Amino acid sequence: MTHSYGNKEIAFAALAGVLYVFFGLLNIAEGLGIDTGIAGLLFVPGDILGGFCLMVIGAVFLNGLWEMHQGINAGVSFVYVGILMSLIFAAVYLLIMAGNLLDSFIVPDDYKGWSIMETFRPGIYLGLLSIAGILYWKNRFSLNEVLVFREGA
Amino acid sequence: MTEKITVALAGNPNVGKTSIFNAITGSKQHVGNWPGVTVERKIGKRVHNDVMMEIVDLPGTYSLTAYSLDEIIARDFIIEEKPDVVVQVIDATNLERNLYLTTQLMELGVRLIIALNMTDLALAKGDNIDETKMQEFLEVPVVSTIGSKGNGIEGLLDAVTNELHRTRVTGNVFTYDDEIEDKAEKLRVILDSDPYFAHYPSRWFGLKLLEGDENIIKKGKESDSFPKIQIILNETDADILEAKVADQRYKTIQTMLRQVCNINTSHLSGSDMVDRVVTNKALGIPIFLSLMWAAFEVTFTFATPFMNMIDIFFGWLAETATTAILVPWLASLVGEGMIAGVGSVIIFLPNILLLFFMLSLMEDSGYMARAAFIMDKLMSKIGLHGRSFIPLVMGFGCNVPAIMATRTIEDTRDRLITILITPFMSCGARLPVYVLLAGAFFGRDAGVVIFILYALGILVAVVSAKLMRSTILKGEDAPFIMELPSYKVPTLKGSFIHMWERGKIYLKKAGTIILIGVVGVWLLASIPAPGSSGTFASQEIYGTTESMIGMIGQILEPLVAPLGFDWKIAVALLFGVVAKEIVVGSMGVLYGVGENEESLSNILSAGSMTPLAALGLMVFTLLYAPCFACIGVIKRETGSWKWTLFQLAYGTSLAWGFAFVIYQAGTRMGLMA
Repeated sequence: MTHSYGNKEIAFAALAGVLYVFFGLLNIAEGLGIDTGIAGLLFVPGDILGGFCLMVIGAVFLNGLWEMHQGINAGVSFVYVGILMSLIFAAVYLLIMAGNLLDSFIVPDDYKGWSIMETFRPGIYLGLLSIAGILYWKNRFSLNEVLVFREGA
Repeated sequence: MTEKITVALAGNPNVGKTSIFNAITGSKQHVGNWPGVTVERKIGKRVHNDVMMEIVDLPGTYSLTAYSLDEIIARDFIIEEKPDVVVQVIDATNLERNLYLTTQLMELGVRLIIALNMTDLALAKGDNIDETKMQEFLEVPVVSTIGSKGNGIEGLLDAVTNELHRTRVTGNVFTYDDEIEDKAEKLRVILDSDPYFAHYPSRWFGLKLLEGDENIIKKGKESDSFPKIQIILNETDADILEAKVADQRYKTIQTMLRQVCNINTSHLSGSDMVDRVVTNKALGIPIFLSLMWAAFEVTFTFATPFMNMIDIFFGWLAETATTAILVPWLASLVGEGMIAGVGSVIIFLPNILLLFFMLSLMEDSGYMARAAFIMDKLMSKIGLHGRSFIPLVMGFGCNVPAIMATRTIEDTRDRLITILITPFMSCGARLPVYVLLAGAFFGRDAGVVIFILYALGILVAVVSAKLMRSTILKGEDAPFIMELPSYKVPTLKGSFIHMWERGKIYLKKAGTIILIGVVGVWLLASIPAPGSSGTFASQEIYGTTESMIGMIGQILEPLVAPLGFDWKIAVALLFGVVAKEIVVGSMGVLYGVGENEESLSNILSAGSMTPLAALGLMVFTLLYAPCFACIGVIKRETGSWKWTLFQLAYGTSLAWGFAFVIYQAGTRMGLMA
């Protein structure tokens, strides 16, 4: 079977998949009260549902990796959708940060001793990886014309 | 002299029929209902080539069988009203499925014109359609259109006026196997000889009889010839024959498609790629849940600074009004009643706007249709139709249009169940209660609590559906066919418009029904109860057990005391039936903190309520009797007070039961102490 993707997509799916699953597990572990010891260093909150979402993104990437490994050309779809999802979540976390920052100016008394880094989340810096991906494969992210999968291309 | 004609616009759902209708008629439209049913009927007018056309927009249907109300309406209109021309709008990117309806329209013998719509998308996909060949094959005019841009409309109208003067009307181009043809011919002879059937196209009527179409058989039974018809029908297995007819129609379509177009199969479109992932068996539902969680996180967290701004503004306004008005009771009415009550509702406008913005992004992108698709399997397991998911998701916005949207569900039992469970979907009006209480009692986990409440609403809805399906509303499952429109990048403008439309409704509600409601609460809180010695709106009366509202609350209190609620909550919940937003407005008035959401939160969390009671109150608000508008629409859509009252009693009993278990079990287990 012809493989229409390159090693770059495979490597990206593997790296992003493992990272998202890893950080998802850290979130969940901290949320369950398990001290991972690296949460502070990596800005990982105790957030079970947030961790679940990161794991879902990771699973999307890993599913793409598995399909591409099986020689299924369309498996690359999972890489592109995984990138879109990780960017959506990075945007969500950035909005949350922006909301907190704005609120700290409106009701400063509620934010005494607060630092913006308290709302910094792994979803933001993991999103940087996807930004690199979207910049690299930018001509494929258009619904009507360009994001077209070509057999053997 | 201008000739007057009727043109029916037919087509599958989501083929751009509305765009074509709007492009033809512009603002000359009239919206009403089809006779006897609550399905929307749109009629528009247009003069073209000296012909006055009355354009009737038929409901979107996949075929002309009798499986849904929409299909019956469409075909009855064509048969009974006999429009001069039928224009079928076809999605050029999905010819095979769309042409199935064409085969049925042609069998009806109507003057048919095909508007080959979305040709730009077909081209982008790499599909190459030869319209001339298609026209030759079908023997009907085919006009290429792009409804969204208004392209091809003049050509389409030219084709309509030309068709009027064409002598030959589309004949029968579809033939079936010998067995079907033989029986169809026998029936045709019987039907042609009976004047009762003169009104109907005999071949089409005969085929429908053979397919076991209940609606057509019912009509046939009214004729004197039915015993002869019955003999032929007795020799036929309708289910097998219906499948054979469908199969042969599709074979004809495929034969035609091979000749008239070149569908690009070596490409996987962007929509196809996204669909491979979001409709994936294992990942579809987790992805949906993740996206919903993201929507609620943004709704709750990003809205906070804007809520605080509104809070500060209303605080200033109430203080200014109270200081400026010298008459104490009037100052109290304006400050503690009107500004406090309305302010405590308007403060949640940012949450409402953000939630609707998020839902609009999902809807406009085409993702919501996928959500229905991925949930179908789960829905069918609990005995509900996949199509029910769309009204249920709409219920997150407002239950009233969601219940109206159940009209697209063919099966009457499925429709009734969906109507009865839609109020469990947490509408935007309940959000202020969650935001207030979750914020006060659950701090940073407030978003999670709100997400769980929405999930609980879904869970209660699906379990209730299963329960009803297996007890009071038993029946066979209906098949699920649904259109998955191509994905589109949602425009910010479109999403802002949707958001603002909802925001306007919310503000209008705040300025009308909620204002009246909170003034009503203020009045009852200010009027001394019989036997009380205090005066109107005095400090010793206002919002106390000595007031009228206190008296009502005390009567109700024994009912809610096992749930950990006091009489003030009982009254707030009672007034919440008028509109759910009034729950918070009433609490603002009754706890004497006015518009200040933060103060109300502080008072509640400082001892007026326990976290368990707060959780119970949120769940109670989620499940108990819906608002007046919703009750009205349930009555209208079910046509029955029995089912309306059943919903109210069932929902309120569930609400009480859940709140009771949360409070009593939680207290005994020492949770959230």
